[in-house]
Amino acid sequence: MTRRQVRKVRSNHFDLIVAGAGIAGITSAAAAAGRGLRVALVSTGPGSFVLGAGCVEVQNMDRGMPSLDEAMGFFRNLTELAGCGFRGGLGEVRYIPTILGSFQTVSLAPFYMWSGEPEAAAQVAVVGIKGLSSFDSNFVAERLVYHAGLLGRGSTYVAREIELSIAEGTVAGTLQFGNRFDRDARFRAELCDALRPIAAKASLIILPGILGLKSGQEEIEGLEKELGCLLCELPTLPPSVPGMRLFNRLEARLRRAGVEFFTGFPIQKLQIENARCKGVLLDTPARPLRLSSESLILATGPFSGRLLGNHSFGVNGDLRPVDATGALIAENLYAAGAILRSSSSARGGNAMAILTGYAAGMLAAGAGVQYAQG
Amino acid sequence: MRKDDVSLDNCLKCSDCNTACPVVTAHPAYPGPKRLGPELERMRREGIECDTDWVEYCLGCHRCDLACPNEVNVSELIARAKATHKKTPIRKMRDWWFARPGLLGKLLTIAPGVGNFALGLKPVRLLMSTFMKITPERTFPAYSKSTLNTPEAATAKQGERVVFFPGCFIKYNQPELGCHVLQLLQLNGFKPEVAVSGCCGVPSLANGDPEEARKRAEANVLSMIDAVDAGARIVTACSSCGHMIKTGFGNMLEGDAELAKKAGRIAASTFDLAELLVAQQDEGKFNTQFAPASSNRKLAYHAPCHQKSQGIGRPWYNLLQQIPGVEMEDLNAGCCGMSGTYGFKEEKYPVSMEVGSELFAGIRASNPQAVVTECATCQMQIEHGTGVKAVHPVDILLNAYKPGARI
Repeated sequence: MTRRQVRKVRSNHFDLIVAGAGIAGITSAAAAAGRGLRVALVSTGPGSFVLGAGCVEVQNMDRGMPSLDEAMGFFRNLTELAGCGFRGGLGEVRYIPTILGSFQTVSLAPFYMWSGEPEAAAQVAVVGIKGLSSFDSNFVAERLVYHAGLLGRGSTYVAREIELSIAEGTVAGTLQFGNRFDRDARFRAELCDALRPIAAKASLIILPGILGLKSGQEEIEGLEKELGCLLCELPTLPPSVPGMRLFNRLEARLRRAGVEFFTGFPIQKLQIENARCKGVLLDTPARPLRLSSESLILATGPFSGRLLGNHSFGVNGDLRPVDATGALIAENLYAAGAILRSSSSARGGNAMAILTGYAAGMLAAGAGVQYAQG
Repeated sequence: MRKDDVSLDNCLKCSDCNTACPVVTAHPAYPGPKRLGPELERMRREGIECDTDWVEYCLGCHRCDLACPNEVNVSELIARAKATHKKTPIRKMRDWWFARPGLLGKLLTIAPGVGNFALGLKPVRLLMSTFMKITPERTFPAYSKSTLNTPEAATAKQGERVVFFPGCFIKYNQPELGCHVLQLLQLNGFKPEVAVSGCCGVPSLANGDPEEARKRAEANVLSMIDAVDAGARIVTACSSCGHMIKTGFGNMLEGDAELAKKAGRIAASTFDLAELLVAQQDEGKFNTQFAPASSNRKLAYHAPCHQKSQGIGRPWYNLLQQIPGVEMEDLNAGCCGMSGTYGFKEEKYPVSMEVGSELFAGIRASNPQAVVTECATCQMQIEHGTGVKAVHPVDILLNAYKPGARI
């Protein structure tokens, strides 16, 4: 497949429509746009980013799956270009703390969590913020001591609390802190000053996710440098500030790569004629907006099977949904991400989303990527 | 308003709306759309007293609606609370006028020279600050007497009949822009006429006066329905008017089944000008007889919130890219914070500027020759916040045609 020329004339016809702005949708849009396709990304809301932080575990997956390595490499590069780089790789196993004081096993994680590994002899401060009810530093520290013990790690955890100014008439909240981190230099200085004495006696600070919704490596690693101490930021109850940051950075990256966003309007109907998907109708004000395309990727999450009606019985070897008889629903229709959970082959959360998103994007671009074995 | 709207039961408390809200982002004391919308609505429906001044601080940008993964009508719930909110007498009087830009326009264009002169005087603006709580920081847009008329039969070529809905700003402040819209339509094979129309009603809703908005919707529906039923399409060049005709008329007129049906037919026939031109392009009928580029122009595009809420993509951005020599950057830096009359209100002026600060920073970083945006009050805010010239995309596109270009 040769790189297609970017068309001068731009309208509502696309090479590819991707439905869904979660990790799978974003990865497939980026993969296809990288192959020169003109891509529309259609979504209602930013996937599950508001709930989490995007860690990737591959422990429960078949690591021999073709293209897994390639897909992870692509995703790492994508996040790096977005200024919100992931660390790690398929061969790695790390223990990253959670807000419940346990450890989750991950292979890749965003840079702002990657340092959370319980290193031997590490002096870790778990820093809560006065009035912030969604993060209990005493609870987290106590549980991490216990769980690090179970893992046989020698790191120590102590709970600390800082006080930050809050807007009049409000209670402390991660969204408020995150927005002020982005917009207010005085707030960043206040936070740095509050953390400095703690950083002096610690090699790692674990704190609730508050370090901006639009910030990236430059700002957060800058703070680490200023403190002389590593940071690990844990996502809290929604909204997850680190999760929204990841989404915002990836969206900005995709926009720069020429992806056209249609945000806020659900797909009313897939237009399938003669086993080809011609496009979608979006449920927009006044009348549906019709977007047409050469191919379409459904990455709409686990709750959105209705678009295919009762016809879908999983996907074939190249991620194309099939009906009960095994026949393709449409030859140019692909599926990626958690929508595949209904089929037994797909497990593995974000790793699966990255793998299937990447593979679907490349397949839609006509690239010779192998998804299934054999 | 829709009493049977149970979309608030869909709220999962995920807070996507709060992360998308420009006021929450810029002004942490604001409780946010989740609280003011679905959460307080439950109490309001139970008759529990929970009125708060904060409902007035909603910009009406609809970004919460677009962010919601579960189709809750967040901003509509807040607008409903705005309508029953109790205001101080001064604000009540001020907002009564702000809810009626059509009336203001009619009065001020009787003798625009006098009105413009008076509104420009410092003492007058200080008096307005004291007695009407209108910020003296801003200048009022100039009012203009020249009128906008349907082109004469002699100049109007044959083509598909379209009806241009100018809205108050074009009618009373920028009639020359309205003339440019008509020229652009003619250049692209349409036979345009000017709608006999009043205010679309967005300012009435924004100022908590749904009854006035309903009257405006009814008057506009009755004046345009015959044209629509005869097959004409309605064209808007103001994103807020377009948003209102498409989404608001039907809601406003729900109490009258006959009118509501008419409103639905009008909405289905209403197109943003750029949306219409993109549709022309898809049929191979978009006029691209552009003059060769004399020099390169660096422009920055700002998408108004009421353009985003129409769900039409970025038609102007994509159309202007085709002009030789034009280099366009999509600023994508959020809401400008003006929200029509909001930015003029003394108590809301600081919030309006805080909201706009991200856009202002984006414009400074981009350093364009001009900012392009199709909303008149976004233009005012951009020029006020950055000093960079802000223009309507119609002017860029019309000027790009070579002399004598015709379809």
